[in-house]
Amino acid sequence: MQASKARLFKEYHEVQREKTADPDIQLVCDESNIFKWTAFIKGPSETPYEGGVFQLSFSVPEQYPLQPPQVRFLTKIFHPNVHFKTGEICLDILKNAWSPAWTLQSVCRAIIALMAHPEPDSPLNCDSGNLLRSGDVRGYQSMAKMYTRLAAMPKKG
Amino acid sequence: MQSKDAVVEDGEITSSVTAADSEFDEWNNFGDDDIMQQQYTIQADEAKKIPFEPLSSLAAEYNSGSPILLEKIKVLDEQYAAIRRTRGDGNCFFRSFMFSYLEHIMECQDQAEVDRIQPNVEKSRKALQTLGYADLTFEDFFALFLEQLECVIQGKETSISHEELVIRSRDQSISDYVVMFFRFVTSAEIQMRTEFFEPFILGLTNTTVEQFCKLSVEPMGEESDHVHITALSDALGVPIRVVYLDRSSCDTGGVSVNHHDFMPAAGDLPNASCSSVKNSPFITLLYRPGHYDILYPK
Repeated sequence: MQASKARLFKEYHEVQREKTADPDIQLVCDESNIFKWTAFIKGPSETPYEGGVFQLSFSVPEQYPLQPPQVRFLTKIFHPNVHFKTGEICLDILKNAWSPAWTLQSVCRAIIALMAHPEPDSPLNCDSGNLLRSGDVRGYQSMAKMYTRLAAMPKKG
Repeated sequence: MQSKDAVVEDGEITSSVTAADSEFDEWNNFGDDDIMQQQYTIQADEAKKIPFEPLSSLAAEYNSGSPILLEKIKVLDEQYAAIRRTRGDGNCFFRSFMFSYLEHIMECQDQAEVDRIQPNVEKSRKALQTLGYADLTFEDFFALFLEQLECVIQGKETSISHEELVIRSRDQSISDYVVMFFRFVTSAEIQMRTEFFEPFILGLTNTTVEQFCKLSVEPMGEESDHVHITALSDALGVPIRVVYLDRSSCDTGGVSVNHHDFMPAAGDLPNASCSSVKNSPFITLLYRPGHYDILYPK
């Protein structure tokens, strides 16, 4: 029953201890609810997301880690595998391929990898997927870059 | 339940409501999460069933079915007394193994087997560490298995009855954790012996050994194949007999039921103190294409 809590506490301590280990990921637990987490991830370099900071929300089920956390982008992002409105992410490890071998931290790493390597053949954002599938890499990149600037970069001044 | 309610109450993500108590007004609102929730509900219902039945119930199932199967069930009837059905949720091999193994130790009070398997468990733990798995990802599953192993030996404060063992095998928070323990052990064994397993894995899927473990061994609900059985049997040093009930028949006309014994590397065999024949597997599973159940020899 409390197994999920115990596991999350372990992950919490691990995150505290390894805070500097992965500068691209900042994972924060809600102060009053260990089942709620927020992550700030840096857009990977040499992608249209470079320079942006993207906020993710984690909602962890009671059956964690047997069931995956629900993860969404809170920051608007133009990416074939992220729903443009809801921020829902299409990633196998968050669904059928989930296993307890993953942690919230390694899920963040997988999402960063997905940002760098979109899978246009299983799109949640068809506009974005179609651009890539039709070979319009430039079109996809400029759209993605625009939304990164608009939504994921700290305002100047 | 408390924690779950908390998630629902203050969650801005509405789809964390379970499929059972939400109504889908629009299909637009029916996302992947809802599908997964629905799947979990079905699995939870399945979990309530693990009936123990005489073998005749198996024949009843095929009454109007293939004559070959009925012939084979007659052959099985000579050797086996009963069948225990395992829920069909993709974990049936691991769950059958779990129950059969723990039940054997309980029935025989096989302390020697408990002592024998512990170093193997530790070896698996070390293997996972070597492979780069963080302890926190697997240690809870290991702890829970070792706890069950202790509980089935009688005469201690923690000892449990056979009835309790059945209840635990149905309890998701225990049963699924033990299944997951076996998945970790299996995955570690395959990855530590990549060269041995690679040709078999290439025959099944077109992936690397590591990908195979990530996609077909570690996730709950992924079905088991001979690769999984071989790896688990080797890793824990526990022989497993699988009896195949399918429609294959031999040319000579006589009906026989095939079985295969998965024997772990020699020198590591448990002394099956309960069994009349030394070194013959004390775990017998019935395989019908797509599913494993437990068989009880006469």
